[in-house]
Amino acid sequence: MNTYMVKRLILKDWYFNRWTIVSYIAAGAVALVLLGMGNEGAFFAGTILLVTVLIALGIHLTMATVVEERKEMTLPFVMSLPISAREYTTAKILANLLIFLVPWGTLLIASFALIAGSAALPDGLIPFTAVVLTEIFVSTCLILAVALVSESQGWTIGAIVLGNLGFNGFLYFVSHIPSMGSTMKGPDIIWNQAAVTLLLAELAAVLLLLGLTFWLQSRKTDFI
Amino acid sequence: MKDLAVHFEGVGKKYRHFTLDDIHLELPTGSIMGFIGANGAGKSTTLRILMGLVHQDRGTVNVLGSDMPAQQAAAKRDIGFVSEDMRLYKSATLAWHMGFIRSIYPSWDEAYAASLAKRFDLKPQQKIKGLSHGQRVKAALLLVLARRPRLLVLDEPTTGLDPVARQEILGGLMEVIADERRTVLFSSQNTLDIEQISDLITFIDRGRIVDSDDKETFLERWRRVRLEVPPGVVLPALPGIVGTAGSGRLTVVTTSSYDPATAAAYQSAGATVRAVDTMTLEEIFVANVQSRREGQAA
Repeated sequence: MNTYMVKRLILKDWYFNRWTIVSYIAAGAVALVLLGMGNEGAFFAGTILLVTVLIALGIHLTMATVVEERKEMTLPFVMSLPISAREYTTAKILANLLIFLVPWGTLLIASFALIAGSAALPDGLIPFTAVVLTEIFVSTCLILAVALVSESQGWTIGAIVLGNLGFNGFLYFVSHIPSMGSTMKGPDIIWNQAAVTLLLAELAAVLLLLGLTFWLQSRKTDFI
Repeated sequence: MKDLAVHFEGVGKKYRHFTLDDIHLELPTGSIMGFIGANGAGKSTTLRILMGLVHQDRGTVNVLGSDMPAQQAAAKRDIGFVSEDMRLYKSATLAWHMGFIRSIYPSWDEAYAASLAKRFDLKPQQKIKGLSHGQRVKAALLLVLARRPRLLVLDEPTTGLDPVARQEILGGLMEVIADERRTVLFSSQNTLDIEQISDLITFIDRGRIVDSDDKETFLERWRRVRLEVPPGVVLPALPGIVGTAGSGRLTVVTTSSYDPATAAAYQSAGATVRAVDTMTLEEIFVANVQSRREGQAA
């Protein structure tokens, strides 16, 4: 593995998306301000905005770094560099994870801090928030995997739709798990079995999606 | 044993509507090969296989000592590739691209890059989206030339360019090619471009290489012989005849292996040789492809 080239490609994507990162963190900060205002309407608006910002970030990055690379015909330029297809896949996955996880992680930690520091928000929300925001990460990995493997805007849009439907279904499912619902509004942070299992399942889904992407990419014979 | 920069041996690639079939290609180090074919002939597929970007179904490809596609990352260190469908990042400047390439290739020559920018009239601080198509091609060429690759692979770089931009690019290439260690494989539909810079010529048609030789040999051995054929005279079947046209007394014979004995043979048979015309590379290409297609159809 040519780690130097992988690093160069990650830095390239970081450079081209630096303002995307900043703008999504700024929009996320607005969402957190709304969440911390202490009234129901602002909390609802903040929740919607935070979720929208994170979902949009994952879509935006995949479109910009994978789909656009093919559409704008910069892929032949990248593939003419001294890299293999495996290194290209590695660079794309790592770049997207890094660029996504920086705002995602920042907003996740900031939302934890907000919940913990706000008298109006119950601390029991923290495990629920972690599980829900991690689902957005899983959905982002799904979109990235489909974009990399299919290299198709149509299939990627299909994955976006699937990811969005999946998120809404997941939200409904999690909020109806009795052990999650009962602790969510409580004053204590309780990492019960349901929360831990969900987080582990999400992590496994991420690993499975990324592993599958590498496997499918390794079977490809045409790259441009 | 020949020192080959590129060696294709029995290479094939099958798509649903196109097959690249049994490609044998040898490009000696230091030579400049023009790769001529019509649209969809298989030029780009061949060059993509050379770059490891498309994997062949069968056969072997060796480029600068590396087996492709397995060792493509190593081979691509020494290959400069520019293709007609390659674009740079629109939102970045040429200077950013130069910095990016410089960070990857230790062979990057800053002074040479600056001189190429001047020669091509490119401003490094300009964003790619503000460049014309010709300037973008020049920018892409600058990025590969300034790192002084051992092998240049150019896939129709002059397609869509106006005559002035085309000439500027060809001029730049000819300057680079003066370095005898550099090997160039240049594909184009434009035989005039190829004729200007190449010393070897390969024709490809419908996924097969139909002819390959050095340029001078092509130009020397292909001729159109204009004959006056009196009634009752039958022209002898000479080797290398690829086409006979005309009716009545005037007949034009196209041959791929002309020598003075050809004219003598026609005269001995009773025909009168009115003229022996040289052919342009384009005429040779068209005659060659047509005769192969007719041969396949027969």
